[in-house]
Amino acid sequence: MQFDDVHRVEKAKKRAIVNQSEARNRVELFRHLPQYVHGTQLPDLESKFFQLEPIHPSVYKVGLQYLSGEVSGGNGRCIAMLLAFREAIKDYSTPPNKTLSRDLTAKVSSYVSFFIECRPLSISMGNAIRFLKNRIAKLPITLSESEAKASLQSDIDRFINEKIVVADQVIVSHAITKVRDDDVLLTYGSSSVVEMILEHAHELGRKFRVIVVDSRPKLEGQGLLRRLVAKGINCTYTHINAVSYIMHEVTRVFLGASSILSNGTVYSRVGTASVAMVAHAFGIPVLVCCEAYKFHERVQLDSICANELGDPDVISKIPGRADLGDLKNWADNENLQLLNLTYDATPSDYVSMIITDYGMLPPTSVPVIVREYRKEQLWV
Amino acid sequence: ANPEASHPVSLSTLPPEGDEPQNPDLTLPVDLIRRRRRGRWTSRSSSSPEAPPRSSRPSSPRSTAERDTPPLTPTTLINPPFCFSQDVPKALLPVANRPAISYVLDLLESSDLKDIIVVVEGQEAARLVGAWISSAYLDRLVVEVVAVTEDIGTAGALRAISKRLVANDVLVISGDLVTDVLPGAVAATHRRNGAAVTALLCSVPVSGPSDAASSGGKDKAKKPCRLNIVGLDITRQFLLHVVSGTDVEKDVRVYKRKIRAVGQMEIRSDLMDAHLYAFNRTTLQDVLEQKEAYRSIRLEVLPYLVKSQLRSAPSGGEGTIVDETGNVVVPPSSNLQCLSQHRAIAPSAFKQDLLASSGGGTHRCCVYIASKNKYCHRLNSIQAYCDINRDVIGEASHLSGYSFSSHNNIIHPSCVLGSKSTVGPQCMLAEGSQLGDKCGVKRSVIGRHCRIGSNVKIVNSVVMNHVVIEDGCHIQGSVVCNNVQLQERAVLKDCQVGAGYTVTTGSDHKSESLARK
Repeated sequence: MQFDDVHRVEKAKKRAIVNQSEARNRVELFRHLPQYVHGTQLPDLESKFFQLEPIHPSVYKVGLQYLSGEVSGGNGRCIAMLLAFREAIKDYSTPPNKTLSRDLTAKVSSYVSFFIECRPLSISMGNAIRFLKNRIAKLPITLSESEAKASLQSDIDRFINEKIVVADQVIVSHAITKVRDDDVLLTYGSSSVVEMILEHAHELGRKFRVIVVDSRPKLEGQGLLRRLVAKGINCTYTHINAVSYIMHEVTRVFLGASSILSNGTVYSRVGTASVAMVAHAFGIPVLVCCEAYKFHERVQLDSICANELGDPDVISKIPGRADLGDLKNWADNENLQLLNLTYDATPSDYVSMIITDYGMLPPTSVPVIVREYRKEQLWV
Repeated sequence: ANPEASHPVSLSTLPPEGDEPQNPDLTLPVDLIRRRRRGRWTSRSSSSPEAPPRSSRPSSPRSTAERDTPPLTPTTLINPPFCFSQDVPKALLPVANRPAISYVLDLLESSDLKDIIVVVEGQEAARLVGAWISSAYLDRLVVEVVAVTEDIGTAGALRAISKRLVANDVLVISGDLVTDVLPGAVAATHRRNGAAVTALLCSVPVSGPSDAASSGGKDKAKKPCRLNIVGLDITRQFLLHVVSGTDVEKDVRVYKRKIRAVGQMEIRSDLMDAHLYAFNRTTLQDVLEQKEAYRSIRLEVLPYLVKSQLRSAPSGGEGTIVDETGNVVVPPSSNLQCLSQHRAIAPSAFKQDLLASSGGGTHRCCVYIASKNKYCHRLNSIQAYCDINRDVIGEASHLSGYSFSSHNNIIHPSCVLGSKSTVGPQCMLAEGSQLGDKCGVKRSVIGRHCRIGSNVKIVNSVVMNHVVIEDGCHIQGSVVCNNVQLQERAVLKDCQVGAGYTVTTGSDHKSESLARK
């Protein structure tokens, strides 16, 4: 939904479960994306805990976890959502005079709109939801309710296992061949797959060191840094403003992705495009690791038409530095708008190779995967 | 579908004791200082409140006052909860002319928690409480009253009903809690963090202005040092250290290992435990089984869970099986387990969990800090009783559910006021009360069918039902129970008068507890 259409927004607000108020001082260019005041959503949703009859408690809990930022990252959010759906399907019972497939699809749609209100869906979640709805629609009519529910639950388990867990293992086994001794690997932010690659390589005994590039406001790299150092890997930590200063030391860049689009564009955490561009300028290979279920057939040329807006207040506040309070009342100034983008699009020219569970591909092969293997995914 | 499955939170509310007797002829001999740990109510599917433990230790000035009771009391208690009349369980003590338990029950009802187990200590009290609840909440709530033996402690009460708890989480509320914090918020925090226990913390209430000396008449040197020390992590979500007021001597000891694990800990003394907990049922049952000797949730179970957060021994629960293909077989229990398995697979997907990463955290203790604009207070001392009465009519008037007149007080239409009598703001007069001439009532609560003579001044007090006050009395900062007769020109200041007592003519009492022998 485009959020600069006033009538649609009003209509959606009436159906909404989470009370959200629009933020002030929105950037004009991004008015088509939702931006809400962040502070009040979580307490308001928490206080309604016992009153949300139509929403299953696990779904509600996962929605709360999205809102509070406890679960983040494409894989994590998708797994949390699928497990919540699994619980909801387990407790589901068909009302009289209704068919299971239609009613369950409607219920899943209502849960999905609740998730969207908590936090806009990631592309991986969208693909998983499409898979689930397809499985529900394809249920044979002859199945009894308990058999149908059991079949759906096993489908969800299989999806998580095949498309995420095993896919990650395959990616790690491919990527290990690209990590040699005396390598200096650079990574940006915190990607679950890249972390697994680095840990596995360290277990195999390869000698390498890692440079973790991080950026405000999320500072996700710090978590990755802690975990890598705890495993004993030699790490360097820097912020994205210094990426061109350390790039001359680097031999390979490993990046994660939220999704890869049909024209080879990598849709990932904001800042990835800059890191990839600097690496390309230095002639360093950029390897993007992404599971195939995250691929999408859409084409995107810029970071503007589809993105997610985060909380602008975290830009104005620096934790631990209360003295830097110049931007404290930024909202009162009409001429000042703060923009906090979550994702950006890296053009395919900057990417050397994409490592997926179907192998190591150039970026131009993504539409082939989407075309050939997506059908298999939906019907298997 | 199991209706309880949609609300897999079981709550138990324990109302505090108290209540006015429906039938005044049933008064039993009064004993002011008697241990009054009755009324532990646990609500089954919705909430299990816990009886507030009377936890005053000898060092606390409150209990010191209690212990200075006249020798007529059969037992001098080290932990005397305050009580006014033996026949009135604490849960049914009138706060603004509504039994104290009704506030908790209304709170639960407004949160749609309709199935409640109420655990009461003592058979007699249980009978009274059960009778009152079934008459008042006939069709609105499904309440099951369970009587347990006296002095079994809050943990003991939970142990007694632990077989009946079936849902995944248990909400335990003390019956003497007067608050408007939504239990849903606490439950949501509990679920979101997957915690083993979530405790509600509220700011320590400031005691009332004029009757500060109700307890400390004889102790000049001691200040009310009922400190509660809590240690929270930076994000104020997790409870790392809890010490209740009575265990605090001069030093607070914290394990270094804990601080090393989490980096930074914030220690606060301005928060107190409001005795509203959300427990994970399996953890709670395990702890109750293993530690037979535990009697109090606040003093023993909660500190035990907080201390064992960082230990590596798992606290029970099912293990998960990983078969050859690396598939994680999801156990039929909650998906929380599976989620935690995937935490191992995609650890970066989950926000940095300092406790888990420190190696060995198996369960977490979370807190929910009530915001400043919410009212939260516990009825665990006489001072608190007066304060709550005043607050419910005053600041927190939305809790009382009454509508105020233009003078900001509540006067029942059947009251008769004499000429030149004034009733100030934040007062309450219940039905059938009569005031004589030239009376002054300020910031007080007066119960039903009281006969008050002329020239009577009542300030900052609580007067219960069927009291006869003759002319010329002055009552300040006191609590007067049912069926008391104050004869002419009696002066009471910071006193507590037990039920059925007669204060003789012209007597002057200051900071005393009067009871019928």
